[in-house]
Amino acid sequence: GRGGAGAGAKVIIEPHRHPGVFVARGKEDLLVTKNLTPGESVYGEKRISVSNPQVGEEAATSTEYRVWNPFRSKIAAGILGGIDEIYIKPGSKVLYLGAASGTSVSHVADVVGPEGTVYAVEFSHRSGRDLINMATHRTNVIPIVEDARHPLKYRMLVGMVDCVFADVAQPDQARIVILNAQNFLKVGGGVLVSIKANCIDSTAAPEAVFASEVNKLREGGIKPKEQLTLEPFERDHAMVAGIYQRST
Amino acid sequence: MSVDYLLHESALGYAIFKVVAQPDTIGNRLKEVQAATQDLDKFGKMVDLVGLAPFEGTEAALQEINSISEGILSDFLKATLETNLPKAGKKKTVTLGVTEKNLAGSIRAVFPQLSCETAETSEVVADLLRGLRQHNQKLIKKLQPGDIDRSILGLAHRYSRGNVKFSVHKNDNHII
Repeated sequence: GRGGAGAGAKVIIEPHRHPGVFVARGKEDLLVTKNLTPGESVYGEKRISVSNPQVGEEAATSTEYRVWNPFRSKIAAGILGGIDEIYIKPGSKVLYLGAASGTSVSHVADVVGPEGTVYAVEFSHRSGRDLINMATHRTNVIPIVEDARHPLKYRMLVGMVDCVFADVAQPDQARIVILNAQNFLKVGGGVLVSIKANCIDSTAAPEAVFASEVNKLREGGIKPKEQLTLEPFERDHAMVAGIYQRST
Repeated sequence: MSVDYLLHESALGYAIFKVVAQPDTIGNRLKEVQAATQDLDKFGKMVDLVGLAPFEGTEAALQEINSISEGILSDFLKATLETNLPKAGKKKTVTLGVTEKNLAGSIRAVFPQLSCETAETSEVVADLLRGLRQHNQKLIKKLQPGDIDRSILGLAHRYSRGNVKFSVHKNDNHII
């Protein structure tokens, strides 16, 4: 069979503190999400299948989980870093800016489940193709190949959302997040921004860059709740979480 | 400045709403006023659906979103506005709330008697349009639950595929 994580070994799945996220406890502990499309890997990630014992009349079934690599996903890095709130849970509507090829998006789609929706925006056409392909297997992902700087261009494709996540690595990232929140984010909704210091200002100290970005978000009606570093998974990255208040 | 009508664009079609209760302009940024927009019971009493123009098929929807994203007034939208907005008399001008300013400009060029407010020029319009986005499923009573979500899924795939194929930014389309 397949080698590596979980193969042959006894693995126990436990729910994580964040609803929709799970931990696989085996030889080593791994962050996992419940696979929406059992039998398929999206980007070659490992899958772990556990059998559910027979309950009464119902036959035994099995559930498949996919390993969520914190070195490849900022949200996974944030969760392992101990972030207090991700604003993404089963049933959530999420606007995901900077979706890239959709590897991380596929895990968010697992977390929100069939009742939730992920509106995934990516401007690069090359990544956009992969994103569209991933979305054909997951109907809770809405692929949007468009510039997140111009949210009004895709206003017919996005509903009101519970959370905006941004990983766009652009100098004007805060402005992009605020523009999208103004159009699509509920009052009281969550904002999660992954900030790469180098992408905003490569000459200033990372801490100064993070502080100035948090300030910009605050001026845009987003009340910052927490900030954490994504070390050891990413260098000079911070994750900022906040609540959209709209009224400043 | 008050607003009389609102244009809501969704993946299903265009909807025109009449603003029946003028929202509070001064207290707009207060928590209570913001909360009222989130509450369907309160928001439902502020607007009234006057016309719905569903797109005829996915091909039509794709054409409309391509026009909308460029701020162009399509023939279909023009016809929709003509049937659903009152003919402005000499005394009173009708104010229409539109999401985006380029589209507002295109509308004004064809309907000189209309006055347009956008989400940028008026916070009241911005909040009303946010309310429509949040509650559209319930406010458009002919819809079945999930209608809008399904049409968004289909349209997003077509629109995104179109964007990937017809690209002016050729540098991103490497041929390996």
